[in-house]
Amino acid sequence: MSDLLDALRAVVGEDRVLARPEELFVYECDGLTAHTGAPRAVVFPLETREVQDIVRACRAQAVPFVPRGAGTGLSGGALPSGGAVVIECSRMNRVLEVDAANRIAVVQPGVVNADLSKATLSHGLLYAPDPSSQLACTIGGNVAENSGGPHTLKYGATSNHVLALELVLPDGELVRLGTPTGWSASLDLVGAVVGSEGTLGIVTAATVRLLPVPEGVETLLAICPDVVTACRAVGAIVEAGLVPAALEIVDRRTIAAVEASVYAAGLPRDAGAVLIVELDGAAVALPAELARVRELAARAGATRVEVARDDAERARFWRARKGAFGAMGRLAPDLYVHDAVVPRTKLAEVIEQVCAIGDRHGLVLSNVFHAGDGNLHPNISFDRRDPDELRRVLAAGEEILALCVAAGGVITGEHGIGTEKRDFMGLLFDEDDLDAMRRLRAAFDPDGLCNPGKLLPTPRFCAEANPKARGYDRVPLA
Amino acid sequence: MSTSEAALLALARDVGADLDLDRHAPVSLDGVPVGVSLRPRGGDALARTLRALAERRLAVVPVGGARHLELGNLPRRVDALLSTDLLDGVDACERAEGVCHAGAGTRLGALRARVAEAGWELPLDAPDDASVGGAIAAGAIGPRCAAFGAPRDVVLGLEVVLGSGERTHCGGRVVKNVTGYDLPKLYTGSCGSLCVIEGAWLRLRPRPQRTRVFRLPERRAADALARGIAISRLDSVRVCALRGAASAGLRGIVELAGAEATVERDASLLASDHGASDAGADALDDAREPRRPAGAFAACFRIPALPGQLAAVLAALGPGAAVLVHPGLRLVYAAFALASADDSAGAAQAFDAAAAAARAAAGSFRCESAPPAAKRGRDVFGPAGDELALVRALKSRFDPHGVLSPGRFAGCV
Repeated sequence: MSDLLDALRAVVGEDRVLARPEELFVYECDGLTAHTGAPRAVVFPLETREVQDIVRACRAQAVPFVPRGAGTGLSGGALPSGGAVVIECSRMNRVLEVDAANRIAVVQPGVVNADLSKATLSHGLLYAPDPSSQLACTIGGNVAENSGGPHTLKYGATSNHVLALELVLPDGELVRLGTPTGWSASLDLVGAVVGSEGTLGIVTAATVRLLPVPEGVETLLAICPDVVTACRAVGAIVEAGLVPAALEIVDRRTIAAVEASVYAAGLPRDAGAVLIVELDGAAVALPAELARVRELAARAGATRVEVARDDAERARFWRARKGAFGAMGRLAPDLYVHDAVVPRTKLAEVIEQVCAIGDRHGLVLSNVFHAGDGNLHPNISFDRRDPDELRRVLAAGEEILALCVAAGGVITGEHGIGTEKRDFMGLLFDEDDLDAMRRLRAAFDPDGLCNPGKLLPTPRFCAEANPKARGYDRVPLA
Repeated sequence: MSTSEAALLALARDVGADLDLDRHAPVSLDGVPVGVSLRPRGGDALARTLRALAERRLAVVPVGGARHLELGNLPRRVDALLSTDLLDGVDACERAEGVCHAGAGTRLGALRARVAEAGWELPLDAPDDASVGGAIAAGAIGPRCAAFGAPRDVVLGLEVVLGSGERTHCGGRVVKNVTGYDLPKLYTGSCGSLCVIEGAWLRLRPRPQRTRVFRLPERRAADALARGIAISRLDSVRVCALRGAASAGLRGIVELAGAEATVERDASLLASDHGASDAGADALDDAREPRRPAGAFAACFRIPALPGQLAAVLAALGPGAAVLVHPGLRLVYAAFALASADDSAGAAQAFDAAAAAARAAAGSFRCESAPPAAKRGRDVFGPAGDELALVRALKSRFDPHGVLSPGRFAGCV
């Protein structure tokens, strides 16, 4: 242990290595506080070369290591399994280049998501992926988790915006993957690394695509009697061929929490749900699209539609959505944020069943979610000090995942697998499917030292959980 | 009967009645005549076929619509073509959902028609006779990909059989998914070097309200490039291509698509600021890859380049190159005429020019087609760089016995 600490201190100096228990405590988990693991040490590199040397020092002693950004992940991806060394990248936070003419930027992994757009707005450009944690989460973490956000519906997730990567491999070698054009002549290794949850290496620089700030934006609230009506409105908008920038649903319980909090947005407390629709693009096309959305929402059963009159009102609408998780702190000491995806046509029936699961377990379950993508976020408010309630929370979570898979969906749309859902991969994939993923991992990290214990279940557990993948219908071709 | 053919006949007997073995007039695969095609009738047969090939150490080149057979290095070995043409059919096309599922052998023309009936548009831009599996495996890019995205952005889930014979699936049918590694992206564009695609879930795109096609007058390269970059950034542009030669001039083809109001606004701007004139939809043929006349020989390249690098790329390609520039796609296609199939000096000049152009841009290029003699001793995927060791490691794990197109992919793996 002291040999390792000496080696790490030799790389970055005394003041950028934490090793005392009271210093390490905060690094035992990420945003998934239900899962914890004590790190052996935490190291703060500033440059790529230091990351390489840290990785080599760990590898020399066969000690696992895990990259970490802001620790806002919600699936335990940055949890230090097996006494891993945490390589904390948040101080590698420089925007290295903004090339406005070519609409790209090169950033270190510790750049905060929202700061990147702040750095490019003066050029009329923005970085599109906008996870709810964008004021804190980092680009490196976004790359690891393939983060989404409300505007994924139109603009795609992180993988659609990362063009090239600088990656320290688990053996300490530095590789450059992809090109700033987004095209590679070889395998799409950038595509393989984005969303790999820090298990294939440590990203030390990312070249990302910048988009022009839309010429026009319209944001509206459709007030609905219940969440099922809001889901039907979403289905009607998708089927009509409209592609809003965002389609978000906030349910009654969330509205109550938000309106009682500092995030109060003036939402009608008697509404069963609100649907937030944001349209953006060429200003000349927006009036017709807005009229069409109003018509579809009304036909689906919305009782009222409010259109934001200015940026301040738009910000108020979004405050209700983005402040929802914070507001839920009023409901209970702990919050379990679930994440699953279903086909958009199944939203209404699945959300009804999700609520029934919560009721059956006697839990406070609320919903605020990316409806346009079919990406559910059932949130369970609870008190972890109550063992029985915690048991019911976990049981309900499992039922929700199984329900979504049975509806043709998947177990995560943007939070990742991490440790949280590792042992549920068998709901979707059989052993051969998972073995293909293991082959990818082994090609990058044959020794298994880079963020071990994440994403993939052990073969034994998966086979016991489910010998045949369920829910994904292999379509017969002949 | 050759040893290889006898082994294939034995293999077909072992696999059973759901594998067709077709003997046909030899197809030239980079100069290697291949007179046998294996045609499995379903995913199970495909998996058994690949396992049997691995056991016998035979090698195949997977083929869909045979639209991209020229893409690849000289094969180290090929005993047969592995055709996915019987893995065809559109199994799902969901109007309310905007997704579809099709077998790998489904022709894009048939799938386009089915998708259009459902009120959507298929965002894969390859010819009608290309297959779904082939377009995905080749990562086929057409001019509309500036709006559609690349195939990697369209594929939601894949069923594939690995080179080692395991039948697997990855991804899903929903439009947002981070469940496990993104293997669909690894397989898309892997040119059949890791697996054979059995079927795919694809994301569809709303059909545009309005579509219009325009031609831009020929202009000097610098002027045409500056205009092309600006035009490619208009809201409704989904094709903007410039064709010609760096030494002469470039003429443009533009397609607008989207909401009627946006298209008409952009159309007015094209006419008033850039001298654009209306054209028929067939003008879009000029926006597609360089076509060489029958009987002519050429080496054709794809060179990624940022907008700000386009002028330097054209300069590096020199006056002999016929070019097709897609500013929005960040790609330049270049074709060099060769005097004959064995024109080694011409081939060397073409590869040197492509390499110089790549150095002036993003650093990579690939030769999309060339006579076999021009490929000999070269990697048509250009400099492999840092990625080569990873590509080799992946090949050895997904296709450990070298069944799938050995030698054909990047790094000659």
